[in-house]
Amino acid sequence: MKLDETIRILNDAGVEFVIIGGVAMGLQGSAHLTRDIDFCYARTVKNMERLSAALAPYHPALRGAPPGLPFQFDAKTIASGLNFTLSTDLGDLDFLGEVSGLGSFQEVRAASDTKDIGGIKCSVLSVEGLIKSKTAAGRPRDLYVLPELRALSELKRKTGLE
Amino acid sequence: MTKVQETIALDLVNNPPPGSEMAKAKEFGVDLALLLSALRRTPTERARSLSDGARIFEIAKKNSLKNEA
Repeated sequence: MKLDETIRILNDAGVEFVIIGGVAMGLQGSAHLTRDIDFCYARTVKNMERLSAALAPYHPALRGAPPGLPFQFDAKTIASGLNFTLSTDLGDLDFLGEVSGLGSFQEVRAASDTKDIGGIKCSVLSVEGLIKSKTAAGRPRDLYVLPELRALSELKRKTGLE
Repeated sequence: MTKVQETIALDLVNNPPPGSEMAKAKEFGVDLALLLSALRRTPTERARSLSDGARIFEIAKKNSLKNEA
């Protein structure tokens, strides 16, 4: 996973995104580790074009798909789908058009904080947003992290730490 | 992190109030000291830790595949 580089590439391309999932947890202060990066992306034509162009040099392919399956991560493909789990030269990247419990990009961005990561201001899903999305997703692996996220929320609230 | 924040945080981590979310998490098995340790770092430093952690996953995965072969 090349987190700094991936963020820089998307930011430089002007892609509108929010970091969600395990990486958002880690950036917010959780001890959770993950091996892929999850993003929620804006589904405007311009953003889908920017996203596909930004990732093109990094050979995006559908993760787990049989080798040789034709796939092109272009704006048309993105517009016809919603969520994409990709393997790329930057590592495994997931792009979600919607997040359970929150909704589309606008709602997800409204539930995010701005964090400075290597000099780049990025939207990162807030602890409260993570709690909402994990609760709504409801899978055992989502529910498992809720006690930690609730504790993190309380610790931040009582200390003013970010 | 200011000294006051550090003092409050340390007290909460070491003695989470009964019934609080931190007490529930501790009971669940969450290491609260790890949360405090992460909050002492900047988001950039946390991003670096995430990348390092992912690298460990990759090494473990490669070793496991090698052992299976």
